[in-house]
Amino acid sequence: MPDRSARFLGRSLVLLIAAAALLPAGLTAALPASQAETEEAVPEGYVLTAENDPFELHVDATTLAFKLRDRRSGYLWHSGLDQPLEEDDLNTSWQAFARSGVSIEYLDARGVNRRVSIANSEHTMETEAIENGIAARITFTDYGISLGLRLTLDDYGVRVEVPFEGITEENPEFRLGRIYLYPFLGAARGSSIDGYMLVPDGTGSLILFADSSRADNMFYGRYYGQDLGMLGVEPYDPFIDTPDSISMPVFGMAHTDAESAYLSVVTKGAGYGEVQVHPAAVITNFNFLFHAFVYNEPYFQATNRSGAGVTVLQDQPNAFDVEVQYRFLTGDNANYVGMANALREVLSASGSLTQADFSNPDIPTRVEFLGGDKEPVLFWQQFVTMTTFPQMRDILGQLALPNPDVIVYGWQPYGATSVPPTSLAVEGALGTLDDLRALADDIAAQGGHFSLYLDPQAALWNEPGYNARTDLAMAITNVTIEAFNRSVMHFFTLDALRSRFQSLAASVAGQPNIRLALDGIGYRLFSDHRSRPPFSREAAIAAYRDLLAQAPVPVAFYRPNDYLLGFARAYYDMPLGDNAYVFTSESVPFLPIVLSGSVPYFGEALNFSSNLQEDLLRHVEYGIYPSYFLTQEPTSRMLNTQSSWIYTSSIAQWGESIRSTYAWMNALLGPVRGQRIIAHTMLADGIAATTYADGSQILVNYTDRPFEHRGVRVEPRDAALVEAES
Amino acid sequence: MRRARLLFVLLLLVLVGSLPAQADSPYTTWTLGPGGYFFPVQDAYTPLDQIDLPVSGPEDLFFAPDGFLYVADTGNGRILRLNPRFEVDAEFGVGILSSPTGLFVDADGTIYVADAGENQIVILDANGQLVNAFGRPDEPLFGANRQFLPRKIAVDPRGNLYVVSEGSVNGLVMLNTDGGFIGYFGANSAEMSLQMILQRLILTEEQLDQFILNEAASPTNLAIDDQSLVYTVTAGTAPDRSIRKFTIAGSNLMERARGSRDFRDIHVSADGLMTAIDAGGTLYEYDLDGTLLFLFGALDTGDQRLGLLSYPTAVERSGDTLYVLDRDKNAIVTYGVTEFARTVHDGVRLYMEGFYEEARPYFDDVLEYNGLVIMAYQGLADAAYDARDYQTALDLYRYAADRDGYSQAFWELRNDVLQRYLGTGLAAIVITWGAWGIFGRLERRRRWLDPVRRGFAAFRRIRLVDDFLFMFRFIRRPADSFYYIKTNERGSLHFALLLFVWIVVVRILTVYLTSFIFNPITTVWEIDLASEITTLLLPLGLWIFSNYLVATISDGEGSLRHVVIGTAYSLFPYALFTLPLTLLSNVLTLNEVFLFTFGNQIILAWCGIMLFIMVKEIHNYSVSETIRVIVFTLFTMAVLSLAAYILYVLFNQLFEFVQSIIQESGLRA
Repeated sequence: MPDRSARFLGRSLVLLIAAAALLPAGLTAALPASQAETEEAVPEGYVLTAENDPFELHVDATTLAFKLRDRRSGYLWHSGLDQPLEEDDLNTSWQAFARSGVSIEYLDARGVNRRVSIANSEHTMETEAIENGIAARITFTDYGISLGLRLTLDDYGVRVEVPFEGITEENPEFRLGRIYLYPFLGAARGSSIDGYMLVPDGTGSLILFADSSRADNMFYGRYYGQDLGMLGVEPYDPFIDTPDSISMPVFGMAHTDAESAYLSVVTKGAGYGEVQVHPAAVITNFNFLFHAFVYNEPYFQATNRSGAGVTVLQDQPNAFDVEVQYRFLTGDNANYVGMANALREVLSASGSLTQADFSNPDIPTRVEFLGGDKEPVLFWQQFVTMTTFPQMRDILGQLALPNPDVIVYGWQPYGATSVPPTSLAVEGALGTLDDLRALADDIAAQGGHFSLYLDPQAALWNEPGYNARTDLAMAITNVTIEAFNRSVMHFFTLDALRSRFQSLAASVAGQPNIRLALDGIGYRLFSDHRSRPPFSREAAIAAYRDLLAQAPVPVAFYRPNDYLLGFARAYYDMPLGDNAYVFTSESVPFLPIVLSGSVPYFGEALNFSSNLQEDLLRHVEYGIYPSYFLTQEPTSRMLNTQSSWIYTSSIAQWGESIRSTYAWMNALLGPVRGQRIIAHTMLADGIAATTYADGSQILVNYTDRPFEHRGVRVEPRDAALVEAES
Repeated sequence: MRRARLLFVLLLLVLVGSLPAQADSPYTTWTLGPGGYFFPVQDAYTPLDQIDLPVSGPEDLFFAPDGFLYVADTGNGRILRLNPRFEVDAEFGVGILSSPTGLFVDADGTIYVADAGENQIVILDANGQLVNAFGRPDEPLFGANRQFLPRKIAVDPRGNLYVVSEGSVNGLVMLNTDGGFIGYFGANSAEMSLQMILQRLILTEEQLDQFILNEAASPTNLAIDDQSLVYTVTAGTAPDRSIRKFTIAGSNLMERARGSRDFRDIHVSADGLMTAIDAGGTLYEYDLDGTLLFLFGALDTGDQRLGLLSYPTAVERSGDTLYVLDRDKNAIVTYGVTEFARTVHDGVRLYMEGFYEEARPYFDDVLEYNGLVIMAYQGLADAAYDARDYQTALDLYRYAADRDGYSQAFWELRNDVLQRYLGTGLAAIVITWGAWGIFGRLERRRRWLDPVRRGFAAFRRIRLVDDFLFMFRFIRRPADSFYYIKTNERGSLHFALLLFVWIVVVRILTVYLTSFIFNPITTVWEIDLASEITTLLLPLGLWIFSNYLVATISDGEGSLRHVVIGTAYSLFPYALFTLPLTLLSNVLTLNEVFLFTFGNQIILAWCGIMLFIMVKEIHNYSVSETIRVIVFTLFTMAVLSLAAYILYVLFNQLFEFVQSIIQESGLRA
């Protein structure tokens, strides 16, 4: 190649690399300070209703809208939009929606829904001042729907409550569908201010304020997933990988120019709550997000087997109280790390965040063994052994992991896809109870933990072991609820679940050093319509908490929702990012930051990773511990069983990889074990830095070129630990 | 041009290097596994980005040899050229083009456009200047009544234009750069069904005229690989024959490729991989032989996650990235290859070129990722066979469900065994035969085995044993033996029932014991024992019942008991010889397939003959009467089945009706 073009190429490459390295991509978690210039004045019509050291609450009693002055920074938060501008292009319905504190959606007899707000509907409003706030009773006279609302100020921000006893439906023609609370709180017009919305998708996802969006429609998420009690059968498309359900009923908004942010947490009523997120240029030019609560839903009742039927409304509205906290943050806390800390405070206050034991200096590794499963032979089933208990001890000896978190999947008679018994009995081909005990003792001696896998809710389809006529939960459409998690399953009613779980747990408690790893119950919540009145999702939350509070053995969960987090000794199957919606800007480790230092969290099994190095780097970036499926025998032996989805697992294939990966990861995450994550930044495109409480930083380099920071060189596609300056 | 390409590649490296980690994919990826079923597998491609373009309803995408992407902006009547950062670099054809739907760019940068709005082909040079534009060819060979509706275009290195003309039943239209018609190429064949054949036999000319003409489907899209072979995909044909690969002469090389009914585009890349995309947003990746490697992708039903498509119209592949053009999103969605898929591709590439041994480490790696990928077992089996490790090759061919390979490996092993033991084997047989002869002679004189003979005679008198031995009499004297059944001298009902049970057992055993080479069943879960037994016993039962009914009204002399016993004994060839034949199949290879199939056919024919003789003898008919009675019996069996089916359907409807009334009244109450 001639000289000149080589130089030209070289120069342009250098320029490009420099540009790529210097351009900050994504948000930093700690911005330089910038003071708000002048404080915004509180408009006419808002009366100072409550105040304390950090805040002043001004309320407009006609629309229940409020303005909150954050005294620490002087910033004024608006709960809605008082006056739209010319360019806003909002019709009267949307203007009313933006102005009113509360809006409702009502359903007519045929299930058709319409939305009305305080500002555009005939209503009566009775308000009374209460300590630190205001209580109101609103009746939408056209539809006969009334509800009561309490708005109070506390040390962290604002609390909104809607008790169920205050809700009445006088007119039988109209039913209350949904309630929307303060939808335009903190809403930002296009990109007029800098900021972002935090969406509870995966580990956490940010939508930056912008003038345009790729979204065709809003983001809609039902907290704790869809209610299978209304749906009946979980929809399944073999080509689509459904995203995990939302496990924390929160969202956040940050106005970064003003160094102010808030996190909103649903502390009561999340079982029937949902989040709706509107980026700008979807319907309106505002970025806003809010909670909505579902009281009545229409559903399709099939009346014959070919699927014809009618749309019907629920008999009775869902009975639950609503309580939402808005926690306002300022200064260095006005970002998603501050929001994560605010959530930690809420969880700790309700006892949902306990402190695990991090005394072991080595990081744990989750090793999930498959004991075996059954395959069809002639007219019966035959058990295929994949790993016996003595073999598990050998494998652990080979791997020499200092802190193994071992789970046995498929310990019960006839293996993984049979219904476990109600007292501890293991499949004979795997060994005896003594072998199991020896294995558990061995692991305890190594400083690890040993659990048996159990899905307490699962009544496996077409399997013996339960009474299909009395034990199964039903949907409102009179079908047995059906879903899929490793195999097709129905669900137990609460009574069946409780008695089975209690007897099995008591039996396991009789063996020392054995815990239970609970799948399903952590993230699946459904209403059971076998009984009338139906057993609601909120009642199920209370019942599960009760049940697990009395559990005689320690338990760990797969992806637990916030209400069960307090019982979790470990969190399994943490996602590695968000679900890549086209309108979100980046994925952030919101959930890992909440759990860091309190509960050890493990990722999904690395056997199924298609880009192993990328996934490992993400583990290190978010502080996620590694997980593997392991068996003694190769996959091909399992081909005719229902566990053939574990398509690679033998120790011969994975042993070397596990040892080397663990050594690498322990060197990085071991020194920061048990510490809180206090900051997370993108130093450059593809370079991430996670800072821990003692000042150490983990640098992760996703690019193909080395990177230097604070005197430490990070190789391409590698990570490094920068020790704290002591 | 090469410099520019190098620059583009380097820029791409820089960009890829600084992109954030690939997103998790919203779809599940599937691969072909044992038995030809689909199994989930790690992702082959993960979505990288969605790049919005200033276009309206774009219908085609082309990755030109100069490294730039060209987009046919159909709604705005122009062709856009995008630089590696997907920014618009140049636009062509403004004012010349109406609705360009097909696009091809050759090595010189000449742009060939199929313009659906004007129904013409437009050729522009690398600067966008009009070189030529032409419409419907004038040559009489084109066909007087044929329309020219160009939608897609491809050009081979010799300058022949291949045009997809909508509705063209003769295949692709071949033109030269002056618009001269060269010929038709690569027609599909019209498909006949049994229904159509019957219609043609029965209906009149006027009635047939009212049907839509059964014409060959016209190809939907096409691609040309770097060896100038033309590939087409056709929507609306059988999914397994949708992709066709043509030689220069126009004959189809692609036997069978698991595909889709509604492919929209296909791309063949220089590294030996074919990618096709269908209307359901699913991407199919094949090797050049048509073996399906990966299957992934879906339509966006409101999810709005990165990687789901709305209306895909074109797919291109370059290096490690797939580019999919989406008409409704007005965007290009890019997918990047994963480490896993890269290993598969490397292995497949070496395998396709015949370097089995070099491909082996890649396939070993693939199996570490996923123990279900058939392609890997196939590659390893061929490598083992080449390396003369026949035992390993045998096991691997079994996993790969490759019967040809299995048969060949088995032949080698058998050959080896024969060569080693044939000499001693023959010697043993000769000696045994000689010894047996001598012993026989001596025994005839000394009568040593007399007590055995007496014991055997006593044994014979047990009824069931006698019935069993009676079976062998049918081999030589079937007519006589049926007569004995009729006169109740030999043969018992007990034995007949036992024989039926034995036949069911033999059937089940053949399903399991037939050698893999001859067994249509590959995997254990394809076996449905309940249905095997039903399909065996139900027709037998129907036959017996119908035969008795028909015989009764046709002056037949046999009673039901005789018919049952007679039928049982008629099936003796199946009972006696099927199991040995099945066991024999385990030492045969495909070279001796005629032995196995012929053997089975003889057994079935023999059973048929025996049934015929049974009907004749038991009911005492003449030959013509027998034929008549048998035809009527078959007819009765059909009628009985039909009646049962109708009753089932009617009762089902009644039950559903009652059930829905109950449900509705429960709701309305």
